[in-house]
Amino acid sequence: MQNRPAIVAVGRTKFGEHYGKEPEKLIEEAWLAASNECSIERKDLQACYMSDCFLPITNKLGLEEGFLSELTELHVPMEVTRSFSAALLTACHAIQAGVYERVLVGGIEKMTDRWDKIRDDLMLLDDPWSYYAGGTPESNHELMLRAYIKKHHITGENLDKLNMALAEVTVKNHANATKNKYAQYQRKITIEQVLSARKAEHKPLGLYDFAPISDGASALILTSEAVAKKKTDSAIPVLAIGAATDYLNYPAREDLSHFVAAELAMKNASQMSKITPSDLQIIEVYDQSTVMEMIALEDMGFCKPGTAWQSIHGCQNCYDIGGKPLYVNTDGGLKANGNPLGATGGAQIFEIYRQLRSEAGERQVHIGTDAPKHGGVLEFEGFGTKAYVTILGEQKNE
Amino acid sequence: MSSEPIERRVSYLGDRLKASQCQCCGKEYFEIRDYCSNCGRKSYGKMSSVDLFYDKGKLELCTFINEPTNKFSKLANFVYGIVSFHDGKIRVPARLTDQLICGGDEVDLSSLEGREVIPRFRRRYSVGKSEVVPTISLAFTLADEYYPHQEYKIIEPTKEYELPGIVGYGAYASRFRIKEGGIERAVPFIDEDAVTAAVEAGKLALIHSGLDSAWIGKVYVGSESNPYAVKPIASKVAQVLKLGEEEGDVQGVDAVDTEFACKAAASMFKDACALVSYPRSGIKYAMVTGADNSQAAPRGCPGGELDAFVGYGGASFIYGKHDVIAEMEGWYSCTSDTPDFWRRDGEQYPMHGGRFTGDPAYFKHVRKSATKLMERLNVKASDLNYFVPHQPNPTFPVRIAKELGFKDEQYLPAIQINKFGNTYSGCALVGLAAVLDVAKPDERILVASYGSGAGSDAYMLRTTSQLLDKRKRQKINVKFQADNPFAEYVDYTTYRRLKTGM
Repeated sequence: MQNRPAIVAVGRTKFGEHYGKEPEKLIEEAWLAASNECSIERKDLQACYMSDCFLPITNKLGLEEGFLSELTELHVPMEVTRSFSAALLTACHAIQAGVYERVLVGGIEKMTDRWDKIRDDLMLLDDPWSYYAGGTPESNHELMLRAYIKKHHITGENLDKLNMALAEVTVKNHANATKNKYAQYQRKITIEQVLSARKAEHKPLGLYDFAPISDGASALILTSEAVAKKKTDSAIPVLAIGAATDYLNYPAREDLSHFVAAELAMKNASQMSKITPSDLQIIEVYDQSTVMEMIALEDMGFCKPGTAWQSIHGCQNCYDIGGKPLYVNTDGGLKANGNPLGATGGAQIFEIYRQLRSEAGERQVHIGTDAPKHGGVLEFEGFGTKAYVTILGEQKNE
Repeated sequence: MSSEPIERRVSYLGDRLKASQCQCCGKEYFEIRDYCSNCGRKSYGKMSSVDLFYDKGKLELCTFINEPTNKFSKLANFVYGIVSFHDGKIRVPARLTDQLICGGDEVDLSSLEGREVIPRFRRRYSVGKSEVVPTISLAFTLADEYYPHQEYKIIEPTKEYELPGIVGYGAYASRFRIKEGGIERAVPFIDEDAVTAAVEAGKLALIHSGLDSAWIGKVYVGSESNPYAVKPIASKVAQVLKLGEEEGDVQGVDAVDTEFACKAAASMFKDACALVSYPRSGIKYAMVTGADNSQAAPRGCPGGELDAFVGYGGASFIYGKHDVIAEMEGWYSCTSDTPDFWRRDGEQYPMHGGRFTGDPAYFKHVRKSATKLMERLNVKASDLNYFVPHQPNPTFPVRIAKELGFKDEQYLPAIQINKFGNTYSGCALVGLAAVLDVAKPDERILVASYGSGAGSDAYMLRTTSQLLDKRKRQKINVKFQADNPFAEYVDYTTYRRLKTGM
């Protein structure tokens, strides 16, 4: 394809609490890391696409483009979106259209500065009416779990297995994060810890089922494939980004047991890239909760609706999808790697990029003796209100 | 500082649970829609409004919240979920209210899912003291518990009476109680206040009367615990209950708050009667509501002696000349400037228990109004069937009733202080409601209100045969609430916490 976009460098900060750092410092760190990886300089950049979900709300900032301009001393066009995938999508469109050849895509969030009111803000972003009725950022995940259990008539022993599978999701993600120096939580947890946290609070999901709030930044440099070829032998092409949107108001959605937007985004991405779920060996999914990771496997077409917990239960570091291994959230996922909203998608792309280039170190996944060929990333904005599926890797030979 | 326009829009939809339905495809929406998303432009002008306020829903899914967002932190633990109406055509987020859940309690979520729930008008969450009080009806209670579902059916009146009188009434007391010193008192849930009680009482009165709320031309709300020093309760009541003809987002009704300690509402009975009788007023029905989250300082503090008697709740009476259940035969009012109970502006609690409590205040004024009215109508205590005095404590009403020559069976049905506490502006009204719940046709009732400061209004009512027909419409009457097996008892600390509110 003409003007196909490809990633030539990635960079990120550690996710976690950066109380000593201004937001600018974080994005600077991520950008410098990316620019050090390739020979593209600031002056080569033709545009910047940045994402942050609510930095102006948490950090009382006006135009984020302005501080990015100050930081880079660049006066090129800059746009801000609310998720990294959205920024990447816009950047890809620009490259595909032939408008630009070299752009910077970055993401940033600084959530821990407003620990006092972050959950109120998050919930208002999810859906004001749910907030007015008393909803919390966690409650919709628990309602979705209950809807899922009811819809698929999961009871008795199977229900125990499902709950166990969800615990296994978070245990696996924490184990993966111990090999990721950028992860927010680099420590193992046990099934018992997950279960007893749920039990202590008398809740369907407990402390260890949810991703934390985080600070962090991520960045990548995107070029046209023609430019990429001159810079590196191992650029990673973006084969497709599928996107879809759903109601803000979760209770009003048709089906409460999964995310229609994720299903549609995957279908779109599959159609564009000719990559089907069975071609993907590694994915990064948006596990704001363990429920989200489980349901993502179904919405992305790896498992039939109501069955993903069976593929998860009993697996160690990868899931068994019809006899084939599927590696999910090898960087620790949102749960252990961290979830600074605007930067999260960048970290997901970062991981797939490293894995496809065989640069993931201790975390490196091998399919036979090779690195995986194709990887996918699912990112959400809100509680399934917007979904983006990005497919990375080489074009399949027809 | 919150935004008044956002607050107004949210409460405009959320207080009443305004919804709409497409006449082309039948799809329903929780909000007012000009067109249907399915049908597009062809549905313009074909959206009908749907009102969920008197409806019942089903709790589809729920979870337990023990770490709420900041504004809900005073609720601490509650059940949150999704409620559906009309077989799932509309689904809304929902908070279960009237549930006291302690930190360590385990909530069986599956025992709640699938149950019928009723939307209740409540405070939404906590805000700063200088801000507008946010409200919403996305709070629900279980229909098979304290507050069952009642249908609101509009019935065209058939008979015009010569005298104006009561055409419908409702009394509301909260689910929670404190039992102390041989009496029970109603305690508001933490999201209740004088405004929510006034709306509840008015809602029950509308259901009982069978009147279209659009026919109400005037509403008086009497309270001494209005959350605002300046801003009417009546405007909220009028908007939520859709009193008067609705035009755009304005109600064609005269709404006003009244204040005279505990007789703020009772004083307006005669005004309501006069208004509906005046042929040029254009007002066929007037609603009088008294409601209070009766204020008292904590025990041991100045004014703290009231703390043993204060209750929560209210009652609402609709006056008119059609399908009357009790005709107004006459009244007498008296007033003197006697400060026996007062609250200075800016003070949190009223002062009481000074030199004038008792004889120079309550007894003198109640005695005067009751005696004068009986003289004027040329009746003796023995000619009457019921006596309804104001009830600031358990002893005063009994003493005055006996002094005026009433027998136990004449005044005891009215005595509700032992069940709900002194509901201040609602107190005499709840007593009257209790009597109307049991009275027979053609019986005479003497009501004597009392308001500190001081004054009393005496009224003579005579019941009609329609009293019995309308009684069937009201399941949630005074006795139903007094003897309700789902009433929940709380200790003193919890009582103070709930009373202080969100």
